[in-house]
Amino acid sequence: MKLTDSMLLRVNLSTHTVSEEPIDEKLIRQYLGGRGLGSKYFADEVDPMVDPLSPENKLIFACGLMTGSSAPTAGRYMVITKSPLTGTIACSNSGGVWGAVLRKTGYSMIIVEGKSDKPIYLLVYDNNVEFKDASRVWGKKTGETTDILLDEVGEKRARVACIGPAGENLSMIGCIINDKHRAPGRSGVGAVMGSKNLKAIVVKGSNTIDFKDKSAFTGAVKEKIDKIKQHPVTGEGLPALGTKVLDNIINQGGLYPTRNFQFATFDGTEEISGEALVKKGYLKKNTACFACPIGCARDVELPNGITMEGPEYETGWAFGAHCGVNDLHAICEANFLCNELGLDTISAGVTIGTAMELYEKGYIPKEDLEDGPELKFGNSESIVYWTNKMGRNEGRLGKLMAKGSWRMSEAYGHPELSMTVKKQELPAYDPRGVQGHGLQYATSNRGGCHVRGYMISPEVLGVPEKLDPQELKGKPQWVVIFQDLTAVIDSAGLCLFTSFALGLEDYTDLINASAGFELTPEEVLRIGTRIWNLERKFNLSAGVDPSQDTLPKRMFEPLPDGPQKGAVHQLSKLLPEYYELRGWSPDGLIPEKTLQELGLT
Amino acid sequence: MIRIRFFTLLQLLLNRKELELAFVPGETMRSLLERIQARIKTRFLHKLLQEQGNLKTGTIILVNGKNIHHLQKLDTPLSDGDEVALFPPGGGG
Repeated sequence: MKLTDSMLLRVNLSTHTVSEEPIDEKLIRQYLGGRGLGSKYFADEVDPMVDPLSPENKLIFACGLMTGSSAPTAGRYMVITKSPLTGTIACSNSGGVWGAVLRKTGYSMIIVEGKSDKPIYLLVYDNNVEFKDASRVWGKKTGETTDILLDEVGEKRARVACIGPAGENLSMIGCIINDKHRAPGRSGVGAVMGSKNLKAIVVKGSNTIDFKDKSAFTGAVKEKIDKIKQHPVTGEGLPALGTKVLDNIINQGGLYPTRNFQFATFDGTEEISGEALVKKGYLKKNTACFACPIGCARDVELPNGITMEGPEYETGWAFGAHCGVNDLHAICEANFLCNELGLDTISAGVTIGTAMELYEKGYIPKEDLEDGPELKFGNSESIVYWTNKMGRNEGRLGKLMAKGSWRMSEAYGHPELSMTVKKQELPAYDPRGVQGHGLQYATSNRGGCHVRGYMISPEVLGVPEKLDPQELKGKPQWVVIFQDLTAVIDSAGLCLFTSFALGLEDYTDLINASAGFELTPEEVLRIGTRIWNLERKFNLSAGVDPSQDTLPKRMFEPLPDGPQKGAVHQLSKLLPEYYELRGWSPDGLIPEKTLQELGLT
Repeated sequence: MIRIRFFTLLQLLLNRKELELAFVPGETMRSLLERIQARIKTRFLHKLLQEQGNLKTGTIILVNGKNIHHLQKLDTPLSDGDEVALFPPGGGG
């Protein structure tokens, strides 16, 4: 089976019917797979005004073009739907092994429609699908659910992607967990799965992948793996400390959001950094996702016996500096709870930090805490307790937290204290300290997000070259290219971390060698532009208007501390040029001509 | 006095977080790095610099929080009381 020959599986949960459809190769040339192809199907089939938690919303699980092959990091899959959190098109991306096994079933995409009348799970294998009763696992955490379903299926090589109590309870920050520790995490995709009474999808398969020119593909793969291994970031920094190599880098640079973005440096960073994870003895060994030569994953064991993967930089920050907490053990516990309950760690940690500011300022009354610990910055007991309440949708405040930071803050009359874009929580870089990255936050098609165009790479890390983080000139062009190239990498089924070592020409080589195409680098980048505009078009039709291309009010107030003290984000100086480079109108709309040029009419 | 702080892989390699050296008039980042290497027996400069002595892509050296890329790179002059932070190439997200 060639990569371009995988079938699409359509599953209707209301009628318990399934169908198989071939995927037109022309569409693969235009959208590759994963995020691009999944979004194309989604936008063609779903009304942008659909209620995200209604049976009319669809939920797509999609392999990238190369997912399941031996291309470096080709284990990624994506979940595409309309987000209940942001109201935008959502695409959440995950590693591990589940995506690669989905490819082995003979399907590269599953479109889930309707709603089951009772909890079920899907067993997908070798061009077959079964609807299975999930009443045994409904209400259970993700780890136990995974163990029970693997036992029930009786195949150790099977893989499970499931939701926890958060997704079942329709938490708008509920995620999906695959392989126990990996997550398509953002935008509440777990709530959409919960709304369909779909607890899990179990995959197993034995299909193998063929290539038009196997030696060309093998040669390209070897060359790119060598590049990845030789690059100091992907060959040394990430394999040793994982993403938590970043804590001290970002803190020392003065853009490490602290206490709900009230400050940009955290005096407890040493205690919670990647280095501390090693020195405290929590890190047991480094591991890797499917076909990954980088291996940034880390197996951790806590003194209380909890074993887990992580924490990632973003998670450690969200429960750490963002909440003023310098207790690495509590941070890891909160991370573990998020995985078990099925919560997005960034949104969960940021929501608790927001609640801490609301409480300290007197906007959350003490009685709303009921029996819970005080929501004060630095209180490590709080991050664990409130993660549990949020994930289980318990108590007045726990229920509000489960809706995410923006809705919780609005309920207490202070939405301006929610550090969100398009109602999705910002990640671990204060945009006042990185102008290009801030522009990318404001324009991201899924709201507050760092992996739609990781401008931290040039603006802070100096890869592929060092840009001044406060310089404005040229930044909109960098953001456009990063956003488009990221859409390509996602849709190819590769990990964004490869981009520290690889460039557009490398991705073009891999795409052509794997699929037998003869695309030029310009044509490949054009695919990314097409995907970006497709997502934007959907969002505009969904009522997410350009006035939401902005940042929280706090980002326009001076940074109070650190080496970048006094900096504000200068969005108004960047956004007009960004719109112009995109070929959009000055008010952020996509002209018919631009849509036509991209084949989006 | 100049305070030098080691982070990420350097901190683990050298098993130390910081070092203080007396300020020498006319000091640049290049001369400071040579003095640090002379003081610390474990070889570490190759983690930051290419064989020709230039900065590796991705190396981060901060003086009081400012990246030397936006100062005068390895020729950046130092002043008494400066704090220097050293990071070999790293990334994530």
